[in-house]
Parts: sequence; C-alpha cells; structure tokens
Amino acid sequence: MPPDVSVRNLVKHYVVPERAGGLRASFRSVLRRKHRLVRAVDGISFEVDRGEVVGFLGPNGAGKTTALKVMSGLLHPTDGQVDVLGFTPWDRRAEYLTRITLIMGQRQQLFWDLPAVDSFLVNKAVFGIDDAVYKRTVDLLTSLLDLGELLTKPVRQLSLGERMKVELAAGLLHGPRVLFLDEPTIGLDVTMQQRIREFLTTYNAETGATVLLTSHYMADVKALARRVIVIDKGKLLYDGALDGLVQRYAPHKTITVHLERPADLPNLDGQAEVLSIDGLRVTVRAGKDDAPEVTGRLLAQLPIADLSVEDPPLEEVIDQVFRGEQP
Amino acid sequence: MIVRRATLAGALALTRAEMADMLQYRVVLFLYSLWEVVHPIVYLAVWGAIAGEGAVGGLRLSDFAAYYLTFMLVSHLTAAIEIYTFGPMIQQGELSPHLLRPMNPVWVAAARNISYKSVSLLLLIPIWIGLIFILRPSFSISAGSVALFLAALVLAALLSFLVGTTFALLAFWTTRSFSFWEIWIGLTFLLGGQVAPVELLPGFVQNLATALPMRYTLGFPIEVLLNRLDAGELALGFALQFVWLIAAALIARQVWRAGIRQYSAVGA
Repeated sequence: MPPDVSVRNLVKHYVVPERAGGLRASFRSVLRRKHRLVRAVDGISFEVDRGEVVGFLGPNGAGKTTALKVMSGLLHPTDGQVDVLGFTPWDRRAEYLTRITLIMGQRQQLFWDLPAVDSFLVNKAVFGIDDAVYKRTVDLLTSLLDLGELLTKPVRQLSLGERMKVELAAGLLHGPRVLFLDEPTIGLDVTMQQRIREFLTTYNAETGATVLLTSHYMADVKALARRVIVIDKGKLLYDGALDGLVQRYAPHKTITVHLERPADLPNLDGQAEVLSIDGLRVTVRAGKDDAPEVTGRLLAQLPIADLSVEDPPLEEVIDQVFRGEQP
Repeated sequence: MIVRRATLAGALALTRAEMADMLQYRVVLFLYSLWEVVHPIVYLAVWGAIAGEGAVGGLRLSDFAAYYLTFMLVSHLTAAIEIYTFGPMIQQGELSPHLLRPMNPVWVAAARNISYKSVSLLLLIPIWIGLIFILRPSFSISAGSVALFLAALVLAALLSFLVGTTFALLAFWTTRSFSFWEIWIGLTFLLGGQVAPVELLPGFVQNLATALPMRYTLGFPIEVLLNRLDAGELALGFALQFVWLIAAALIARQVWRAGIRQYSAVGA
C-alpha cells in the first residue's frame, strides 16, 4: 500500500518586504523596497502511512504550519513534490478536498451568529454528504466530543474550548481520511486539551484516519503521536519514534535513590551532579554515558532501598534539540 | 461551465445560512436601506427644481419621479457589495477555510450578495410603496417593457457582481483596493445613470456612457422599464450589456487565478 502522504524535497520560500522602524525608513521604503527571502521550509522529505499519527515539533517559525498548508493544498511549494492520497494537494480538486481536512486552532469557519448546526448543514451540502451518513457522523461526533446542546447555541456564545470542539466536528463531518491539525489545543485549559486528545486518539482508532498534527504542547504529542518529525528553520532534524528522540538527544539521565538509612554520598568525581537531598531520597543527574557507571557506584557504596533511572522530561529534550546542542 | 450538483446545493445552503445570519443585523440593514432611499430622492429634488412646472430634455417632474423610484430598486438589487464582504475576507486570511472546501469561494460572495439583497428588500419595499403615493410618478410601462426590464436587471446584477468581485480580488495584491473601487463608483455616478439619466447627458458624454459598462449595471434597466429606448437602442443596449458581462466574467476569472496563485505564493 502506498503511503498516504509522501513529501520529497519540499521547499517553500517567501519574499517578505522589510524595513526598519520610523518615519524616515517609511519614506525610504516608498522609493526602494527591501525584500528578504524567508526559507520557511527548506528541503524536507518524509512519508506517512495510512492510519499513522505523526506529530510535528518545532519552535515558532520553524515551518510546521507552512508544511501543513502545502500538504493540505493552501500553498504552492517553491520546489519539491507532495503526494497525498494520490493527489497533488494544490490542484485542490474536489475529489481531494472531500478526503482531507485542515483544522487550524485559531481560524474559524463557523457562522459566528448562528448555531453551529447551521454551519454543519452548509458543510453537509457543500461536501455532498448524504442524510444517513450525516446523521450517523453527527451522532458519533456528538457522543465523542460531548457536543450536546453546543450545536444549537449561537457560536459566539460558546467558550473557546467549546468552539474548538465544534470546529473540530465541523472539519470532520465529511469523514476525511487524512487530518491536518494545526495547534488543535491552543489556548485551551488542561481538561479541555485532555478531552481533545482523547477524542483524536479514539477517532484515529475507530476510523483509521491518518493524522498529522503540530502542537506547542508536548503533552499533545506525547499522548497522540508515537512518531515525531522535528523541524527547525525549515530543515528536518529528526524523524522517528518519540522514544528514539529522547534516546538521541537527552543529554543526561536523572537517577533517584531511596536510602535504607542516612549515609554519606560517595565522591562522584564530577560525573554527576546532586540535584536534591530530601531525607532519605537523593536525586542526581548524570551525563548519559556516565549514567551506568554512576548508578553502579551508587549501588555499590550506598545502602539502597530503591533506585530509578529516568529520562529527563520531553520538554527539556526538545529544547536541547532546538538549541542545536549535540548530545 | 459545469457546476457540480454539490456546489449548487452548497451555494443554496450557504445563502440560507447567510440570510439567517443577516437577520441578526436588522438595524444595520435598515440603515443601509434607508440610504438607498435617501440618495435618489436628493437627485430627484435637484432635477425636480430644474424642471419646475415644465420639462428638461422631455422629462417632467413625474418622469423624474418614476426614474428615481425605479433607480431605488435597481441600484439596490444591482449593488456590488463584494468590496465590503469578499475583500476583507481575503485580507484577513479568512479565505483559507473556504479554499479547502470543494466549492469556489466566489460562491460565498454570491451567497452574501443574494442574502443581503433579499433580506433588505423586505425592509425597502414598504418604504418604496409609501413613496409612490407621495411622489406621484408617471410610470409608462408595458408588459413587454417589464419582461425586458427583468432580463436587463438580472444581467445588470450579474455584471455588477463580477465587477465588484474583481475589485475585491485586488485585495490579493494591495490593502488599498478601496481606492480603485472609488474610481468605479465615481464613474458610475457620472456615467451610469445616477446623477442624471443617460439621455440627459451632453452628446459626447452620452456616447461614452453608452459604450462604457457602468450604465449596464444601473441606468440601462431603468430606461428599459420606462420605455425610454427605441428598438435600435434596446438591441444595442442588450448587446453591449451582454458583451460587457462576458468580458467581466473573463477578467474576473483571470484575476481570481492570478490572485489565488499570489495568495498561495505568499502565505495564505
């Protein structure tokens, strides 16, 4: 089976006008405009198989959203090939658009003053969804997202989180096979983020849809994607399992020991740094390569009741990746 | 041009939703509609003062009343509002969700146009009927002129929509598409049968008005209804209206294609 999404050497450059602040610069820019080339996406390649959930990670301006927009068909690339479900996205053929969806956390396609169900009916007609399928889908989405009365209230009266749920539902009415989600949980509280994540997991499991999402929230990625693609400054830094990312980039491990009785810590020769001592609980941080040796020495020289070795939090790892620090 | 069935159904559903949306803004609509009533009355007052008890170029006060009363309806039904509805959508990036639907976003502009006009017409009609009793126009109309009028009106509305959409599409390149639109508004004011019926314009200007498209978005249907044109003028008028309509459609399509390429090049 060919992959659902195939991206080869994707390049997207923008030319943006640029000028310094101030009136003088304004006048000067009337006569001579300066332009700057922004390499939003600079030669990335990857494939995504049917049913996979892939998280795009990267700092602001890394090119995640641009890549998503090219894949969904909003943008023409500067160079490279993209194939999604056998279509060239930016041709935006009706057969293609009925099979995908792009949901952007901050954009809204719903009629502001009308109940969401009115916008749903518009989508039903535009996408040519037949009555039975429409009813089944709305019922499913209503129960998964707990939409209840939200559909009959004017959209402007919904909270941000409620609106996002309705927006998601609107984008899924036509049963897309590939979902492009740009920051689907942005600005939502923790409970609502959790709901959306659970929903996406269930949706993916039940429909087998392919999901590509970007998010600032590591928790989104951790909960949803087993595979991540890390982009920075338009380049692909990492593509693989989430665990592998930690393996490769985590600079150190955190070793926590519980002592049976108070004891003096052995000299760790600068191989490890003591983070905290809390009664009988001691936490030290050791470089990844030193961790086995440090652990051995702790085990040998201390009366240990319990010991655990952990990877640092994912946030820290990602931060490490973006700062370009090598492991 | 082949239009998908889902597109038509979609446009219909969109129009229905736009209408429901529009009804939320009854007061604003009423104020807009009031303006549609007031400004023709200003022209009428001026021409009425000039004509006095007599006539100007064969038009008496009651003829001017008929002209500008018809003008009220025609200018309302053919108004191009795309610069206010579609242009801002492009500028503010609201076009993106619509581009990912299997339907050209121009249908969104069309749905908004139709729903605005039909909803506000409901507010306009009672005022209009009231004005007939006050202004006592002399309508010299016939069944034939009404039929031809309806045809000219539909063509005028289409032409106006395409022109308005094309100007709105300039928002792909500039944040000042309004300034270009002002030029069109100015030309329509002078040559479209607004400040004066085209037949009253001096010779050279009248020829210009006949050749240019503005009259075919506004003045022409009024002249048809009120039987101001002979057979030759009618035929020429319809021919030119049709030619301009085709030209406008082709231009709108090219501008849309170029615009969407631009939009998609710079960042949607």
